[in-house]
Amino acid sequence: MQAPLSFSVSGEQLWLSPHKAVYWESAGTLIVSDLHFGKTGHFRKAGIAVPQHVFRNDLQRLFDLVSFFRPHTILIVGDFFHSAENREADLFARWRNDHDGIRIRLVMGNHDIFSEDWYTINNIEVFKNIYSQGPFSFVHEWLPEMENGTETYFFSGHIHPGVRLSGMGRQSLRLPCFYFGRSAAILPAFSEFTGLAILEPDEGSRVFVIAEKKVLSLQ
Amino acid sequence: MKDTRGYRIIQAWLEEKKFAPFTFQEATWAAIAKGESGLVNAPTGYGKTFSVFLGALIRFINENPDNYKTRKKNGLRLLWISPLRALAKDIGRAMEEVISELGMNWSVGIRNGDTTPAERQRQKTHMPEVLIITPESLHLLLAQKGYPSTLSNLQILAVDEWHELIGSKRGVQVELAVSRLAALHPSICVFGISATIGNLEQAKEVLLSPLKKSGVTISANLDKKMEVLSIFPDEIEKYPWAGHLGIKLAAKTLPVIENSTTTLLFINTRGMSERWYQVLLNEAPDLAGAIALHHGSIDQDLRIWVEEALHTGLLKVVVCTSSLDLGVDFRPVETVIQVGSPKGVARFLQRAGRSGHQPGATSRIYFLPTHSLELVEAAALKEAMDRNVIESRDPMLLCYDVLLQFMCTLAISEGFDQAVLFNEVRTTYCFRDLTQDDWIQLLSFLTTGGKALQQYDDYKKVELIDGVYRITSRRMAMRHRMHIGTIVSDVMMKVRFISGGYIGVIEEGFIARLEPGDSFILAGRNLELVMVKEMTALVRKSNSPKAIVPSWEGGRMPLSANLGRMLREQFDEAGSGSSNKDEIIALRPLFDLQSELSHVPKANELLIEQIETKDGFHLFVYPFEGRLVHEAMAAILAYRISRIMPITFSFAMNDYGFELLSDQPIPVDDSNVYELFSPENLFQDIQRSVNSTEMARRKFREIATIGGLIFQGYPGEQKKTRHLQSSASLLFNVFREYDPDNLLIRQAYQQVFDQQMEEVRLRDMLQRIQQSNIVIRFPERLTPFCFPIKVDSMRENLSSEKLEDRIKKMQLQLSK
Repeated sequence: MQAPLSFSVSGEQLWLSPHKAVYWESAGTLIVSDLHFGKTGHFRKAGIAVPQHVFRNDLQRLFDLVSFFRPHTILIVGDFFHSAENREADLFARWRNDHDGIRIRLVMGNHDIFSEDWYTINNIEVFKNIYSQGPFSFVHEWLPEMENGTETYFFSGHIHPGVRLSGMGRQSLRLPCFYFGRSAAILPAFSEFTGLAILEPDEGSRVFVIAEKKVLSLQ
Repeated sequence: MKDTRGYRIIQAWLEEKKFAPFTFQEATWAAIAKGESGLVNAPTGYGKTFSVFLGALIRFINENPDNYKTRKKNGLRLLWISPLRALAKDIGRAMEEVISELGMNWSVGIRNGDTTPAERQRQKTHMPEVLIITPESLHLLLAQKGYPSTLSNLQILAVDEWHELIGSKRGVQVELAVSRLAALHPSICVFGISATIGNLEQAKEVLLSPLKKSGVTISANLDKKMEVLSIFPDEIEKYPWAGHLGIKLAAKTLPVIENSTTTLLFINTRGMSERWYQVLLNEAPDLAGAIALHHGSIDQDLRIWVEEALHTGLLKVVVCTSSLDLGVDFRPVETVIQVGSPKGVARFLQRAGRSGHQPGATSRIYFLPTHSLELVEAAALKEAMDRNVIESRDPMLLCYDVLLQFMCTLAISEGFDQAVLFNEVRTTYCFRDLTQDDWIQLLSFLTTGGKALQQYDDYKKVELIDGVYRITSRRMAMRHRMHIGTIVSDVMMKVRFISGGYIGVIEEGFIARLEPGDSFILAGRNLELVMVKEMTALVRKSNSPKAIVPSWEGGRMPLSANLGRMLREQFDEAGSGSSNKDEIIALRPLFDLQSELSHVPKANELLIEQIETKDGFHLFVYPFEGRLVHEAMAAILAYRISRIMPITFSFAMNDYGFELLSDQPIPVDDSNVYELFSPENLFQDIQRSVNSTEMARRKFREIATIGGLIFQGYPGEQKKTRHLQSSASLLFNVFREYDPDNLLIRQAYQQVFDQQMEEVRLRDMLQRIQQSNIVIRFPERLTPFCFPIKVDSMRENLSSEKLEDRIKKMQLQLSK
């Protein structure tokens, strides 16, 4: 497990992991977004032979993060599962069963279409739009109007953020990133089977790129 | 043959029309009468259709001498593969004319993407005697249950324009279809019809491979006179800049257009053709109504209208791209103007052949350079034509993507026995080296979906039922039928007026870069983007002077090896002042400046220039081997230099040479330059240079689409299938990481080596360089040779520095 990078927001100690997760120390909470579990299975069911080991590896990374940070809560800010239930959900359920001491909270994303029963059976607390705790609020997709009349700092996902870097000799690179804006953070997509949306950082924002299993600060 | 009933009847019919058959036509008839197969080599416009078609009629008459006129519903006799839908109608019309004049009862059908379902159904119960079909539609026919009985009377298969098909995956589709048809009808006659290419014998071998026959080659040997005339700028610019000179010379084409009945103006890219259309109209407003635009993004109905208008001589000038390279002849066309490099001798000849169709007439082609250096290409083309140096079209090998698609095609119709199909597929030229291991991997990819987590997997596609591989799901079958084909274009968006009215299609990526209110040009119209809805861009007319001309990807052919060699010879002559060609003499001032600042390379020299500018340190190399070879060579050279010291490059290239650019001095000098251009360890160095991965990633889009990994959705069902969308680039990452031995990934790399980098050519080039003198110069400022590379660049990069170090050097760019 590669070392996380220390960063604080609203006086809270955060650890940014190159495995695309944030550990919120005082709350003992691991924050992740856009896991898109079951996506390979969804493709395979339709006859598109995507290697399923991507999913196994994503699950393994989540397991490694849990072993490393020992959180008592995993907070998912949406797009936990990619589509309808399939056998890959069973593999997750088995994993869940082995780790029943951890609390899992899900703020629903646009992809989360499982039945309520499934979440209940697997002991997952579901929040429709927003979940707030301490100085933070968690939503799947952050919109600028959310900023109005609130002091809270948001954590969100949804867009699978990345930045394009360019330098002398007209070089250019595309990398996934953690984006900390003035009033909201956007987390990188946890799943490896996801693309990137290139962001244009606002002034005053902090951007941390994930490159070769390291988190690097820009600016 | 001449004493047969069929020959006499056809001969009598021709005499009545005052036609005398060409020798090559008679030779083809004789071959078909004997049941032979082969290749007919004849240019467009000389009755190549009649060679095979009349042969089929003669054979039928001979088989039914007494009732050939009255016999109806004979089943499909002649299957005619033609690459272009637009051609089918004209060929069909010509065939029907003959049939009716002979008083026969044959019918001619057309089967392609435009054929209505009702017509298809009719064809299923009553096949016409002649069916004109595209390679894609033939595969669709093989996807129908009961296709062997539909094709049970088939005797002759004609493959028209085989020279266009052979170098592509559509050619592989034809090869696979031939192997299937030959298995159904071991005595089938297969005839290819091809224009002249450098490897005619190989073209025949590829087509006839499943028949296990060598076949006959029948050549028309018709001499066609050709004249090349360059259009010169008034003043030779010493710093050539691609694309910029051409438009300036537009006015000079007007007298040429004026003096011809009809002129075709060939432009290399769709974007530039839009510009030319506008500029010609501005220069000569009276052309309005007599000028038209023809390229691949224009609405098909409009294109067909343009083609019809060309036939009837309604148009004075048509600005076109390679979209008019193929196809029937437009007799009124008297003159052809080629704007910019045609990139190859064969293509240039083909375009020149578009004019002067009356036998004996001289084909006249004007060459208009888009930058002054291109005039050297005109000189090189003249030389190549004099010496009859024409390019080969190499057949593609081991296209697993096309094979996977074909296996699914058979799985939805009749199913297949794997051992039988394996042997059948191996009769084709493309798959003759297919190994048992690869075959098993292909089968398992279709049946079990490769790497999976057994009990947690839902994969389903092809099933093995009682020894037969089948696709049973109707939904899966429907999806496969929709995806049959090997032409993968970019995601295209329809462009419509907001008030209604369809204009054409345009790459989604181009529209994505526009904001509502921005103006762009399509189909010769100035349009303002209003909004994007679903997959349609809604626009209104615009008067904005700042309309953007879209630059389309694709269609950018590299310079051929032949033309490259001719170019080096021209530069040699230019440098020594021994050339008497007008183009070289006109370029004197440019060559003088080049020699003053640097050097004009001889045919046995490689010129390298090192120049420092405010952008950094440039290294320019001029092998004249075409853009693709240069791209690969730049990557390999960058990689080899980067092993000397940590350094980061970006590179740019054109057809003449390439550039490495770095923020530190580039360590290339007399002491190491031969080593840097050594052919040793070439293969390993290619694999290690980051670039091959990037190139393979780009190739993968086509492969994944043909191989069935990219889900394109069902019609009218866009929303529901959103969860199945992923980009080819993402799939490539996933496969490369988790299933690197996957055949489709391997194919992507192989295609990069074979086509993108032209590995054989690259190796030849390095060997040539080892035998030649490498001349390194350090000019104080940019030279005429390097200028077009620096300005007109497509950049790639390679780094041996640690990513972390690079990021520290970089600045965050606030742009998309």
